[in-house]
Amino acid sequence: MKYLTDYSNIFTRYDLNIEVARQAARKVSKDELLQKVADSVVQGDDEEAAKLTKQALATKSPMDVINQGLIPGMNEVSRLWDEGVYFLPQVILASDAMNAGIALCEEAMGKAMDKKGKVVTHTAEGDIHDIGQVIVNALLNANGFEVINLGADVPVDKVVEACRVNNPVMVTGTALMTTTMTAFPKIASQLKRLGLNIPFVCGGGAVSEEYVTSFELGIWGKEANQAPGMAEDALSGDNWQAMRGKWNG
Amino acid sequence: MLGKERVMKIFNHEKPDRMPCFCVNGTPTYEQMEKVGAFWPEGHERAQDMAKLAIAAYTVLGFDAVRAPFCQTFEAEALGCKVKLGGKENIPGIDHPTLYKLDDKPVLPDDFLKRGRIPQLIEAIRIMKREVGDKVAVIGGIIGPFTIAGAMLDAVPILKASFKTPDKLRPFLDVAEKAGTMLGQALVDAGADMIVVEDMQASPDLIAPHTYRDLELEYQKKQVEALSVPVILHICGNVDKIISFMHETGCAGISLEPKSDTKLARKIVGANVVLIGGVDAATTLFMKGPDDVKDASREQIEMGLDVLAPGCAIAPGTPTANLLAMVEVAKEFTYL
Repeated sequence: MKYLTDYSNIFTRYDLNIEVARQAARKVSKDELLQKVADSVVQGDDEEAAKLTKQALATKSPMDVINQGLIPGMNEVSRLWDEGVYFLPQVILASDAMNAGIALCEEAMGKAMDKKGKVVTHTAEGDIHDIGQVIVNALLNANGFEVINLGADVPVDKVVEACRVNNPVMVTGTALMTTTMTAFPKIASQLKRLGLNIPFVCGGGAVSEEYVTSFELGIWGKEANQAPGMAEDALSGDNWQAMRGKWNG
Repeated sequence: MLGKERVMKIFNHEKPDRMPCFCVNGTPTYEQMEKVGAFWPEGHERAQDMAKLAIAAYTVLGFDAVRAPFCQTFEAEALGCKVKLGGKENIPGIDHPTLYKLDDKPVLPDDFLKRGRIPQLIEAIRIMKREVGDKVAVIGGIIGPFTIAGAMLDAVPILKASFKTPDKLRPFLDVAEKAGTMLGQALVDAGADMIVVEDMQASPDLIAPHTYRDLELEYQKKQVEALSVPVILHICGNVDKIISFMHETGCAGISLEPKSDTKLARKIVGANVVLIGGVDAATTLFMKGPDDVKDASREQIEMGLDVLAPGCAIAPGTPTANLLAMVEVAKEFTYL
């Protein structure tokens, strides 16, 4: 028979708890040092991540440090974000820590590591309200995608050119205003003309599903936190029609 | 009953004839611009045009309050940030390069109230008061400390600092709070009956709730205390996790997006705070039709609102018919 020894959670108003207590990373590695590497990512400490990565590289291969330390750490961060434990600043800091470690591993390998895939992100021409894009960038980075961040107020041609040069798995556009989102169908039609059938996720402010699904390649992004899931689908080979079918309508 | 009386009664916790309806954020739409003959970008930079556009919320829509300005850049610009106006169709925003780095010492200029477009805003409030101030409430808008600090430092650096070096943000929050308060009091002196503080970057969508509690709350409290009129606090997104702290600021009203749980908010703030909100400004008011607007309005009112309003700034492409539908619903909710 089990007895209750801790009464602290009885009649607790969970809806008033502001944050779930700070959580340590779950055990992600059997190796003690690689677990520490993962913990430094979860804690978003880029200096510590660099220091521990260097230590680990003395005895382990760069790919092991990446695959058994840095990336499992970042996966923990994604889980904590999904569970509402972590907030955006923690995701950004954890990405920085992971990337600090990855840079050292790449140096040791003498070449860049193969990222999952590239995603070109931008905020529409005429629009300098880029907070939505900041969230998208952070979440894509955190999920291992290489983000080609074009920033805010980006001309149509520049977006198309970045897609041509980088051949991303997906491209995103955010716009606050209905008047700046008119750049999106222009980008889509130029991509089509170049034969680049890249899924083009558009969202933000007053951007509507009806509008985005009115042009080819367009997929409506309702919330910034859908971006990693969409990028995974694009990476796995889903075309824009399949993605629209899944995420819209 | 006049709109002004209706609004004042609600804030004095008395019963007006029916539920008030107005918007605590920006109100202009392209259709209103055509009707009153005032447009952007002049409406963002010239007192006459700004007042005309603000007053349209009363003359065209029948709102119980009018409000200026229509963007979030006045304080930041006067502090030295670069602003891009946005032409005929868009709202102004903060442009690059960013004004400060984290280790810089931010400065509140002595002539702050004379800088940028602030004198035009103050004059617009004077005109609004003179022309419709006896019929509707006049609301002046200022920006919250965290959001102004975000404009001074840019989004990513301030988000990182909120965890890594929160104390380095204090000088920025201090200057930002003083700037907003100074502007707010100037708007009150010019005739504003109430002040709305918009603090978009303090949303849990961006910062952690404990950052709001440990860092931002103290500055907002100071601001609310310093202003001599009722203050309404507006933070975007889902604010369930910080609603009790928003209440702690001492503000008279809280403006919610429908992403937040209105019932929970009512439970937490009790009867003494005016809850404002209702209709999602993008997905309902802008994108749907009058019937959907009415349904959404009624549903939110039942959850405990005191004032029916768009959840955020009205998108400029919003049809007038949808805004009128919202006012119609407010008229159904009588207290008699």
